[in-house]
Amino acid sequence: MQKVITINLNGNAYQLDEDAYAALVAYLERSAAQLKDNPDLAEIMGDLEQAIADKCQRYLGAQKSVVSADEVRQILEEMGPVAEPPGAEGAAADDGSAGGHAAAGSGAAAGSRHDAPPHRRLYQLHEDGMISGVCAGLGAYLGVDVTIVRIVFVLLALVTKGVWVLAYVIMMFVIPYAETPEERAAARGRPFSAKDLVDDAKRQYNDFAGRHVTRREWRRRWRQQRREWRARMRAAAYGPSRWWAENVEHPPHYAMQVLAGILVPIVSVLSAALFFVLVWSLISLGTRGMVFSWPLPPRIPLWAGMLGLVLLYQLLVTPLVIGRYTMLRPHERYHYGWLAVWSGLMRVGFLILFFWLAYTYMPEFRDFMNSVPDMVRDWMGA
Amino acid sequence: MTTSITEKFSAIRKGLLEFAILRIVAGDKVYVADMLARLRATEFATQEGTLYPLLSKLRRDGLVEYEWRESDAGPPRKYYQLTAKGRAHLAELDDYWKTINATLTELGR
Repeated sequence: MQKVITINLNGNAYQLDEDAYAALVAYLERSAAQLKDNPDLAEIMGDLEQAIADKCQRYLGAQKSVVSADEVRQILEEMGPVAEPPGAEGAAADDGSAGGHAAAGSGAAAGSRHDAPPHRRLYQLHEDGMISGVCAGLGAYLGVDVTIVRIVFVLLALVTKGVWVLAYVIMMFVIPYAETPEERAAARGRPFSAKDLVDDAKRQYNDFAGRHVTRREWRRRWRQQRREWRARMRAAAYGPSRWWAENVEHPPHYAMQVLAGILVPIVSVLSAALFFVLVWSLISLGTRGMVFSWPLPPRIPLWAGMLGLVLLYQLLVTPLVIGRYTMLRPHERYHYGWLAVWSGLMRVGFLILFFWLAYTYMPEFRDFMNSVPDMVRDWMGA
Repeated sequence: MTTSITEKFSAIRKGLLEFAILRIVAGDKVYVADMLARLRATEFATQEGTLYPLLSKLRRDGLVEYEWRESDAGPPRKYYQLTAKGRAHLAELDDYWKTINATLTELGR
């Protein structure tokens, strides 16, 4: 089954399947990159879109309303790669090379770029997150398990006597949420290479230098259009990226909304509690060699015990993540933002509550917290 | 042998495309699909990806201009025509091309 995406090509609406859409976007982006120094960028892109739209028309009829990937590939083949004419400003550099070679080279590069997944970007992944998804996003960005990032964050928070919590809050506001399927893909996408970083920096410099007003204008239009496409894509084929949520496509029933309203706090308190128990067992295992009152069997090394705890935690938390995802997912179009913020806030609240309770009623926990600054000082000294 | 000849002349053909386009535009007001159709059977066969940037450059250089015209099927199209400057430039190109041809013929004698 393929999703269908409605796009607007120079003012005409067309329906494409997902692969066709990807191929078309890749072609247009490549073209725009080729023409980046062209003062008529916006106009030429409009012309190209119009030409593609005319060609799409050929494949559509009374019985057929969707342009397939093969047809789009055929169309793009006919369009040919966009190249600056010889003698145009900005194209002087590669003017000397033989035409055939240049064309073959750019074709190959274009092909590989199209096949590669999107570049990785740092996003907050709300559905995977405990609080807001900062750790989940960082984990995806760094290619590290979320739990490890979370433990590092908790340790940092302890070591800095809570200042790190402030850093987390700042990141919560600064790092954007991955809201669309594309952005979620980008959150786990291909890592940046050094060359990509340089290219990106160059592009940003060009944008900020303000030399290419038409280019900026075009980019603005392009971004706006992409937003529109994405919105329609979501509306057309409400795309869950997870197997267990494959069938969640309908707007939520009233009963579902009520159920979500009841279940969200329960799931929040459960996951906050689980996370707290994990942190506390790790601390207790590290300092006293026992989890609560069970000592670690003597043959098992400390690291294996800690790993076991983390795995156990993952096992317990997975159904919660799934539950949270299936609960929040159908609300996305309606009041997802509100519900997600609510559930995130609740988890922060419960976590703080648990830590406060532990600090007040568990002497071991208080002792440990109070000894953390000393431990750090010892580390630094050693 | 034919492949090697077309390869040898690929850069020249690329350079002459502008000339060929000016020629087509000089004949009548045309839009891009017309141009592509006219060129399809010739040595100058080309694609939209090449033609649109070239036309925009010719327009920036003041050699061609276009006007929007309603079409029977679909949205309005851009019809291109030569400007006075373009006409003068085309005449120069014609002269130069004739000189080159003459030189090549002369050299064989």
